[in-house]
Amino acid sequence: MSDDARPLLRRLFEPSSIDTQAPAAKVLTYGLLLLWSLVVLVPLYWVLITSFKGPGEVDNGPFYLPFVDFKPSLDAWRFMLLENNTLGPYLNSVVVALASTGLAVLIGSLAAYALVRIRFQVKLAAIAIFLLLLVGVITLVATLGVSWQIAVAVAVALFLLALATVVRRTRRAVGNNDIEFWIISNRIMPPIVAVLPIYVMFQQLRLLDTQIALIATYTAVNLPIVVWLTRDFFAGIPIDLEESAALDGASRFRIFFTIALPLVRSGLVATFLLVLILAWNEYLLALFLSNADAQTMPVLVSAQNTTRGPQWWNMSVLIVVMIAPVVVIASVLQKHIARGLLVGAVKG
Amino acid sequence: MRVKLTGIRKSFGALEVVKGLELDIADGEFLVLLGPSGCGKTTALRMVAGLESVTDGRILIGARDVTDVLPKYRDVAMVFQSYALYPHMTIAENVAYPLKLRKVPPAERDAAVRAAAAKVHLDDLLDRYPRQLSGGQRQRVALARAMVRRPSVFLMDEPLSNLDAKLRGHMRSELKRLQAELGVTTIYVTHDQIEAMTLAHRVAIMNRGIVQQIASPRQIYDDPANLFVAGFIGSPPMNFLQGALVDGAFVCPEGRVAVAGAENRPRVTAGLRPEDCQVTGPSQGKIAARVYALELMGDHTLITCQCGEATLTVKADKGAAHEMDAPIGVTFSERSVFLFDTDSGERIRRPRNE
Repeated sequence: MSDDARPLLRRLFEPSSIDTQAPAAKVLTYGLLLLWSLVVLVPLYWVLITSFKGPGEVDNGPFYLPFVDFKPSLDAWRFMLLENNTLGPYLNSVVVALASTGLAVLIGSLAAYALVRIRFQVKLAAIAIFLLLLVGVITLVATLGVSWQIAVAVAVALFLLALATVVRRTRRAVGNNDIEFWIISNRIMPPIVAVLPIYVMFQQLRLLDTQIALIATYTAVNLPIVVWLTRDFFAGIPIDLEESAALDGASRFRIFFTIALPLVRSGLVATFLLVLILAWNEYLLALFLSNADAQTMPVLVSAQNTTRGPQWWNMSVLIVVMIAPVVVIASVLQKHIARGLLVGAVKG
Repeated sequence: MRVKLTGIRKSFGALEVVKGLELDIADGEFLVLLGPSGCGKTTALRMVAGLESVTDGRILIGARDVTDVLPKYRDVAMVFQSYALYPHMTIAENVAYPLKLRKVPPAERDAAVRAAAAKVHLDDLLDRYPRQLSGGQRQRVALARAMVRRPSVFLMDEPLSNLDAKLRGHMRSELKRLQAELGVTTIYVTHDQIEAMTLAHRVAIMNRGIVQQIASPRQIYDDPANLFVAGFIGSPPMNFLQGALVDGAFVCPEGRVAVAGAENRPRVTAGLRPEDCQVTGPSQGKIAARVYALELMGDHTLITCQCGEATLTVKADKGAAHEMDAPIGVTFSERSVFLFDTDSGERIRRPRNE
């Protein structure tokens, strides 16, 4: 604008219109963005070129530019993809991540929907008695050698008796908010604190070092995140839509699958992606629960830190191979993360 | 089909919103539940739909007791104020949804959807999505979806209140015609008295969870059962004067009106419809007043008069002209005076204007 009469300093620090940035702010914004891009991109670049280096180039470096600084070689790629067993852990990672994410999103969204649309009232006394009986059964079976079938049968009978008598007379109950908080609180403590019991459990079930153990663990660990994220999506659906469907003759599951799920699709896709990445990158639990057969990629990556020192070039190959599918999936799914699907549902 | 509600009560916690509702709706009747917001009319409708459980009482549709029946087995269709169209389905899919759930074969379903769409003039829009439609068109889709499966009862919850005034008038007449053609029993909830008066065979006026009067629109207007009904129906609303009945006359500070056949009573409210009043010279009227404001409405003029504490609205000729604060008189025929007990709100009936 040539006829801008403001003094230079004000023009620098004041935007020329309400929906633009001042020049100074612009410089700062883009400068910070550039800096952040470097923080993100340089390591990626470094991993990529390292995968084409050999021990010599890594030890005598740093070398920055392939063909200029050093001569790239495919040795590490050849070794990791052809000679080493990379395909096994790779398939393990794919199966475990996809299966656990699919399960977590399915179960989690059902739970979130139920928490939003159904009123729960669980008597506090019932929970207390349940826990008491649980402890009782464990002590009886573990220390006194009572057969577990008898102990469980007695406990179930006692529980039903309590439900019909004591519990009925109590008032205090937990509602949806309490259940929700309880589910989310499962993630307050890091899952790794439970790794020993989980390890022993799968050991007893003879499921250690299987995909099933990892899928089950990851599903359980990611479930609270799914419930927490999707609950708000379901709460955002106008209740009229679901009531209308109920009058049209739809059952609850019908409403969930034909009305609710399609309407929260974008949120669900975002949740799916997030959980998938969490499962794909999970390391600590996999380290405990898998050995050779069910080994996943993150464990294989760390295994490149060998007695002969870290094999940076091999590690880099694995990391590149790990990043690729996530990038592909994210870019395929991102167009589904468009919002505004609810437009036209209600009101004129 | 006939719909019968007996002794229907509904409480949310300690709050009772519907207090003993009795309704007997004949087959094919258009019944309007009318009342101010919070009077329990929508709750009553939702109980008929099965979206709300009843605290006490029975609901019968036809000969069947549906009090504890799930909504989907009640064979009722509902039109929501928000239309509640499924945004991820085309108009055709929206209208077909109830049929699909009832496993109607595709060919039959298609024919029914087309017929319903034609009835509400939606033929060309079947492949569009709700977001591509205007408010009036969405309203029609909601109607088509409700009638496509030929339910035994239509339930409508303020279906026209999201439309602009002109469209509302148009849809009102269409709705009336549609209901007459289909002959399906309809329960219609609204707070708009014009909708109630124009659409209904009978109007049930509710206030604070209690039905005040059930009658034809004409009866409700000409013969209100109590103060609430009298004040709620009519636009501009009925004028009220506070006074007493003394020796066969209604007496208030501003005047005295002879009313035959009424016994003495200390606290009485007299009601006068604006169209029954005329403005006269200062000392000629039955009630003395001052001009407060003049509003030209086009075909008539509304004269608001200050009459002691009360204001009186007179519907006058469009040529009426008065200065502000000019002293005037207001007159009316004795027959047009409605009398109510001020404390109970009940109508005081007298031989001549029943």
